[in-house]
Amino acid sequence: MEKIKQNPIVKKIGFNRIILICVLILMYVVFCLGIKGFAAAGTKHLLNTLNYVYFLGFLSLGVTFVIATGGIDFSIGPVMFCCALVGGYCLNSYKMPLVADIIIAILIGLAFGIFNGYMVAYQKVPAFIISMASMNIAKGAAAVFTKTQSQSWPLSTDPVNGWFRNLISVNGFPVGLVIFAIAAVICGIILYNTKMGRYILCLGSNREAVRLSGVNTKKWEMSAYVMCGLLTGIASIFFVAAYTTVQPGYGDQYNNEAIAGCVMGGTSMVGGLASILGTVIGVFIISLLQEGILAFGLGKDIQLIVTGVIVIVAVYADVSARRRKN
Amino acid sequence: MTKKKSIFKDQRYIALLIAILLMVIYFIFSKEFRKYSSILSMLDFSYYDMLMAFGVTFPLITAGVDLSIGTGMVCYALVAGTLIRNNNIPVGLAMLICILLGCAIGLLNGVLIGIMGLAPFIATLSTCMITRGIGSTCPATPWPTTSQPGGWFHSIFKLTFGSGRGAFKFPIGFIFMFILMLVLEFVLNHTKFGRYTIAIGSNREATALSGINVKFYHVMVYVVCGFFTGLAAIAYAAVTPTVQPGTGAGLEMDAIGGVFVGGVSATGGYGSMIGTFIGVMIICLLKTGLPYIGLQANWQQIITGVVLIVAVLIDIIKKRRAAVL
Amino acid sequence: MGEVILTMKGIDKSFLGVHALDHVDLEVRAGEVHALMGENGAGKSTLMKVLTGIYKKDSGTITYFGKEVEFHNTREAQDAGVVIVHQELNMVGDLTVAQNIFIGREPKKGIRIDDKKMIEDSKKLFERLKIDINPREKMKNLTVGKQQMCEIAKAISHDCKLIIFDEPSAALTEKEIDDLFKIIRDLRAQNMGIIYISHRMDEIKVITDRVTVMRDGGYVGTLITKDSTKEDIINMMVGRVIYEDPKTHSMCPPDAPVVLKVEHLNAGHMVQDISFELHKGEILGFSGLMGAGRTETARAIFGADPKQSGKISILGKDGQLHEVTINNPQDAVKAGIGYLSEDRRRFGVVVQKSITENSTLACLENYLHGPFIDKAKEKKDSERLIKELATKTPSSDQLVMNLSGGNQQKVVIAKWLIRDSDILIFDEPTRGIDVGAKNEIYKLMNKLASEGKSIIMISSEMTEILRMSDRIVVMCEGKKTGEIRIEEATQENIMDKATRNIN
Repeated sequence: MEKIKQNPIVKKIGFNRIILICVLILMYVVFCLGIKGFAAAGTKHLLNTLNYVYFLGFLSLGVTFVIATGGIDFSIGPVMFCCALVGGYCLNSYKMPLVADIIIAILIGLAFGIFNGYMVAYQKVPAFIISMASMNIAKGAAAVFTKTQSQSWPLSTDPVNGWFRNLISVNGFPVGLVIFAIAAVICGIILYNTKMGRYILCLGSNREAVRLSGVNTKKWEMSAYVMCGLLTGIASIFFVAAYTTVQPGYGDQYNNEAIAGCVMGGTSMVGGLASILGTVIGVFIISLLQEGILAFGLGKDIQLIVTGVIVIVAVYADVSARRRKN
Repeated sequence: MTKKKSIFKDQRYIALLIAILLMVIYFIFSKEFRKYSSILSMLDFSYYDMLMAFGVTFPLITAGVDLSIGTGMVCYALVAGTLIRNNNIPVGLAMLICILLGCAIGLLNGVLIGIMGLAPFIATLSTCMITRGIGSTCPATPWPTTSQPGGWFHSIFKLTFGSGRGAFKFPIGFIFMFILMLVLEFVLNHTKFGRYTIAIGSNREATALSGINVKFYHVMVYVVCGFFTGLAAIAYAAVTPTVQPGTGAGLEMDAIGGVFVGGVSATGGYGSMIGTFIGVMIICLLKTGLPYIGLQANWQQIITGVVLIVAVLIDIIKKRRAAVL
Repeated sequence: MGEVILTMKGIDKSFLGVHALDHVDLEVRAGEVHALMGENGAGKSTLMKVLTGIYKKDSGTITYFGKEVEFHNTREAQDAGVVIVHQELNMVGDLTVAQNIFIGREPKKGIRIDDKKMIEDSKKLFERLKIDINPREKMKNLTVGKQQMCEIAKAISHDCKLIIFDEPSAALTEKEIDDLFKIIRDLRAQNMGIIYISHRMDEIKVITDRVTVMRDGGYVGTLITKDSTKEDIINMMVGRVIYEDPKTHSMCPPDAPVVLKVEHLNAGHMVQDISFELHKGEILGFSGLMGAGRTETARAIFGADPKQSGKISILGKDGQLHEVTINNPQDAVKAGIGYLSEDRRRFGVVVQKSITENSTLACLENYLHGPFIDKAKEKKDSERLIKELATKTPSSDQLVMNLSGGNQQKVVIAKWLIRDSDILIFDEPTRGIDVGAKNEIYKLMNKLASEGKSIIMISSEMTEILRMSDRIVVMCEGKKTGEIRIEEATQENIMDKATRNIN
């Protein structure tokens, strides 16, 4: 075991991540063996999983930044829906061009990110309270704006806007995966190779020491939430590109799943430690899990329970690992 | 050196004034609101918020939170309701089951937070998902209506004299809530449990150093919260024709928002059931009253969110001013 | 003075090989106020923690009322009648005075806590102690002094026979100190044994019967207060042979310009009207006892804590002093000041990150190509400093939490050296560091000073102050009590200024 841990490739990727990759592969094998018709369905389940990965992935990437600062944002689900709904309304009722709608959706996410970040970093409102409030405001604003009507984004058959679907795939080629991979790489670069990432990780670990080194910790803490808001906005585009229709009043379950993917991947809720690769693998695991549960014939209810348990286990594992280190 | 405290320093008085102001505004500007049936309807929908709020006041005082109360409440109502429907259990037993389930989830929360050391929001966010999932395994379930056998439980909240259109309905539930408020205010201020809840929220370390079993009380805080969530489930079933699985997320906001409006401190150490009562009434007035003055129901969510932020900001700014002095 | 209540004999206690207590004796009688004195780090707190069961002694005996005892926790000590009134208050701010005093043992009437009885009993306690505090008042609304009185009342309510006061008068006003002494005299008249830990010489002379002095973890001796002078006691406290030669004359050139001028700095009661100057290439020692306000002064200058008033001027490139506005650490760092906090684990380093990441934290802008960090350049500079400071580490990627205290301190120093700050405030630079590493840090500080950097060194170690400083500023309870050139400085005159009770 020790020899494996010392292997340089293992060290670079991280032992925990390797375990997660094994879990992912194992899960797939178990599903193929245990669920009737899973393997036979060919790539259907893989594609479904990918659709889930796209939006959940962006949500998780975003919340990774926030958790790295030791904070939390569980308004991301409803905010994502708000972006999709408002953007969709602009498309359907105001007949605005698709590109403008996409930009609007992303800007709304950004706006929430700025608001959350300002409140937490500058006004020192506890993050969970702001999350609760933003969650509600997002839900309410979306419902008011769209007059509580669900919004549908363009299908591939749409003559004018059909290209929208190409964000997910073109002739079977998973474009979405490429975009997501690039985004993940960019997030990784930001987190490990830029000033912003360096400050975020350090202040998440010891905010006061960073402040006393002359760093404007408020600015950088807020930037984490802004990043999260931006990525949530992007997530909304992928959500509707995959699932077409959004209804007001939903979105909560994705909060937990995004956080679960994040924490499972090695990002610590206490702050200071974050892994983009871990988040990505975590997102794949959660997405595959959801797909497997559905394929098994179990409903959304089981999905919810399982996600809840995963978060508890992942966070507890993180907490006790920290305790042991101290 | 005691400072003479102006009456306005007590947030509860301000809240009370706001509540009265709202009622006056509605009275003046809305013909609908002046009807007895409207007031009755508003009160009907206040009970489950009130009960959730009473319960969650305890965790909030310890600087914690319970986000699972909304979905929990719906879950217990669904489970118990399904048992009534499918297994024909008496309504009284169903009510007891609600309470027991509430206490069980409360105990789970308490152990996760008080003993295993998980942050309250993440622990209860997870139990929120879990209870929603459990609730979703049940079909949409109505509890017995007033005319069905077992419908007597409605009378806990609303007494009906006579029958037909001329029947007079009395919101006895409001009286019970008021009495409950007094009882809980007593518990908070005059019993060991309430005292230690405040102490833990104010300074957990000093409390532990004084020899008090902090872990036990911390767990109990969440069990009590769960107990009231169970009661809330009964109140919710009483006003919801058919309890739908998958709902509930977001209901906790009204309760938690009400507690903050009532003056609970964002950093713990202070709370008041009287404040919670007034706060919830304000939230309910906003919730049900807005349509009467022309605002759609969805504005209520936005306003509840804004109200929460404002209430917390007021608390934070007050503290900041006090620290500088 | 009556019979002997407590005898501690030959108490030894070590932490990780460092001797905190070395064969310490203490004897306390009934009806006596017995002072326990010594510099910071002398071992007074440790001795009391051993007595009250917080620490377990390595060897020695404790005899209490004739019986040999060993308390395993404060509850046990409390039940036996040994109570300590701590310096750091353990009060629950949102509960009232009465509720705090009786927390954990509330009297009950059925299910209801008998608040009335608690208030009555509190009133009785306060009457007994002759202090005027309203038991209904919320603890957080009381001044620190009044809170301390409550702490005392709480201790007394435990039916104690031996009561320990740890720096009780540090936060009290003059009137409150008078009240405190009245209480202590009463307790003494009631035949209680009282241990009084304090550094305030004048108080010791007024209220105590005997004085036991400790030094560097060892027992020096016991004097009868009325038969001894202040000088006797000071001599016992500091009377050590300094093996390292103290500085005989200032190394700072006499024509060196002023690089930092602080005028009338006020930041709460720990920083009262502080003014001083720092010259280029000078090492200015800040001496004083714990609680003197030196760290608070440094933090106020650095912008880490808010200040009420004060003017800070820094030497500009034009050779003139310019006033600077420092409202936060960013302003201070931009002005060229670096601050090495006394609690390096909490405020100095980010332990979960690497040496390199910590070292460049104060000037990351210098390592950027656009938005990207030039990690190669970072590593190079970090390794250069590791070599320069002789930091013991296998690599620059090592996480700081895996380094020893001395090496962690070097990482903090590296951070400010890489930043090239001109003014460095070292707060207890060698605390918790072994002798070898200490000398390295001293050599480094001298080198920096000779290169033209200006250093403020806050230290509670007399030898360090005398060895390193060109000039010494002494503080006591928030006020500057003295400024001494190294040529005239002695342990005695520094200590004299550090312990004078200006009130």
